[in-house]
Amino acid sequence: MRRLAALIPRADRRALRGAAVSMLAVVLALAASLLVIAWSGAPVGDAARAMWDGVFGSPAQFGATLTKFVPLVLAAVGWVVASRAGRLNVGLEGQILAGGTTAAVVGLSLSGLPMAVHLPLAVLAGAAGGAALGGIAAWLWARRGVNDFIATLLLTLIMTQAVSWLANGPLEEPTGTLGQTSPVADSARWPVLLARTTLRWDIVLVVVLVLVAAYVLRRTVVGYRLRLTGANPTAAKATGTRTRLVGVGALCTSAAIAGVAGSSLVLAAPAGNLAPGFSANYGFDGIVVALLARNNPLACIPAALLLAALRQGGGLLEARVGISSGLVTATQAVVILLVTGSAWLVDRRRSRPADARPAQPQERVSEGAHS
Amino acid sequence: MNPFDVALFAAAIRLSVPLLLAALGELISERAGVINIGLEGMMLFGAYAAFLTAYATGSVGLGLAAGIGLGLVLGAIMAFVSVTLRGDQIVVGVALNLLAAGVTLFLYRLQFGGTQPTTVKMEPYAVPLLSDIPGIGPVLFHQLPLVYLAYVLGPVVAWVLYRSRRGLRLRSAGEKPEVLDSTGVDVVRVQWGAVLAAGALAGLAGAFLSVGQVGLFAENMTAGRGFLALAAVVFGQWRPYGVVAACLVFGFTDALQLRLQSMGAVPQQVWIALVVVGVLVAAVGVWRARRSGSPLRWVLLGAVLCVAVGGLGAALVPGFTLPSQFWLSLPYVLSLVALATSARRVRAPAMLGRALPARS
Repeated sequence: MRRLAALIPRADRRALRGAAVSMLAVVLALAASLLVIAWSGAPVGDAARAMWDGVFGSPAQFGATLTKFVPLVLAAVGWVVASRAGRLNVGLEGQILAGGTTAAVVGLSLSGLPMAVHLPLAVLAGAAGGAALGGIAAWLWARRGVNDFIATLLLTLIMTQAVSWLANGPLEEPTGTLGQTSPVADSARWPVLLARTTLRWDIVLVVVLVLVAAYVLRRTVVGYRLRLTGANPTAAKATGTRTRLVGVGALCTSAAIAGVAGSSLVLAAPAGNLAPGFSANYGFDGIVVALLARNNPLACIPAALLLAALRQGGGLLEARVGISSGLVTATQAVVILLVTGSAWLVDRRRSRPADARPAQPQERVSEGAHS
Repeated sequence: MNPFDVALFAAAIRLSVPLLLAALGELISERAGVINIGLEGMMLFGAYAAFLTAYATGSVGLGLAAGIGLGLVLGAIMAFVSVTLRGDQIVVGVALNLLAAGVTLFLYRLQFGGTQPTTVKMEPYAVPLLSDIPGIGPVLFHQLPLVYLAYVLGPVVAWVLYRSRRGLRLRSAGEKPEVLDSTGVDVVRVQWGAVLAAGALAGLAGAFLSVGQVGLFAENMTAGRGFLALAAVVFGQWRPYGVVAACLVFGFTDALQLRLQSMGAVPQQVWIALVVVGVLVAAVGVWRARRSGSPLRWVLLGAVLCVAVGGLGAALVPGFTLPSQFWLSLPYVLSLVALATSARRVRAPAMLGRALPARS
């Protein structure tokens, strides 16, 4: 067995172990929640069926799952980009709110433009809005020495109030009673991808963005310097990387990606408008996804699909079996705790006899500082 | 109509107490190098446990004990994953928040299915003699018993942190754990203790919200107070009396905000008070700048802003209102500004958010 394992390169073995731990965590958490359902007295079979139907029951349900997948995977990739550079962007939620707001402003204020101009403009505005909020945090971190996670978290809390004010005040729809904006112009909304579902074309953009992020991180000099900064800032500085600049860039990029997620939540939503709380915790759930994916951008796709399915299936669970969606939230929390708690399982390196392998070179550069 | 009456100040004290309990716990934990983003979740769990126990037993004391107990359990989870297993503190905190939101929602709906039962709650206790002092008596000494506990907690925490051996170890764990380790102290144990204390206090803060104040539980009843307490630690610049002051300021703005919501236009007195605050900030800033050479321009900028906004508001007063969201976000803005303006001199504990180095 030891022989067999030795055939797989070490880095791959580590990745495999990581994937195994993530899957085990999910299975354990799901099993635990099934136990809880059984304990609460609801029929387990019905609950499982409701869950399944919630995700795959009809094209509409499946479309809704994929709709939830979009912001989740974007937020997760945002976390990955920052985290690989050693920065903790806890404020993805706020950047989603900021991006959604700027996208909505562009979508509301301009009219008469063709879709080919208006829609990209609104999405870019979303990215810029997210990046602006992330930029404040990055400035505070780089220039004023404020912890990145404290700055991003506080900005999120401020942004929540700001969106609530905008949607109830200056941007409110004309009658001024609903506490949300009117829908953005049709030319700024993503066209429907699958008829009779909520799925729109933005999912294509998402896949492209994820692939680009994975490529840049893995195969370019910028990505290399970013990973080096996260893995070993001292070494990065010594080899000529401007680590502070990399940190600022990573935070802003991460925030811009979250901003795109926000723009999707406005421009691809059925209502197509800005309402308080439209971010619906996607920013924090994105962190869960990134953890499950062990900070690998490509692995974010299956992980986000899984959590989107949980979210979507949980809704039907509540409607049909009467089990509160709180259970799904709790399941996610258990997954995080298991994955975080087992990081040492993946990172461990067996101490070897001194003569077996002299002087292992540092090879952990390909992994982020935070697992 | 003058909004600054006895009821306002009494409400300010009442609103700052749960913040104070949670924030002082968080302070202990952060000084030991462990940031606990899951404060909100711990409070929510504490509120729920306290409510359930009080509902089942009819005893406020048992309810509070249950809040503390569950807080300890959550602290143990936090400490085990983030200190012993060296998992990422931020991520564990996010998990605890999700866990609390999910579990309390699930159990509450399961047990009470849409109804909202009430249970016993703590009764105010007027301290003899002291509560008869005109002015401050009814504000300070006609409160819930837990409030009196909160009064002494700040000095106690300050004493423990700066005057006891335990506190020295705790602060070293947050600044230079390897030094503490080399003196033969188990750093892991020190951090465990700090996180447990934070959990217990957060649980108590949550219990104060449910059993202490209202005698009922509501979904997401902490409503961001955990994050507010986090901000208070930042605004208080990681010092016990700073944290106490921050909690009082936040509690006061919250009380003022609630009052103003029912008043329509912002009364003249608020603007005048703002001008006074600006002048005070400027005076204190000048005084401190001469003593320690802190960057004066930021302090003065803040003071000038206060005076300008206050003056403008007083001039334009009829019909001018500020949205409630302005007041709700004010604590966070203040915290960020405080951090940004004093960052070089006042900084977070060095190990904040970072895992201990592995022992060879």
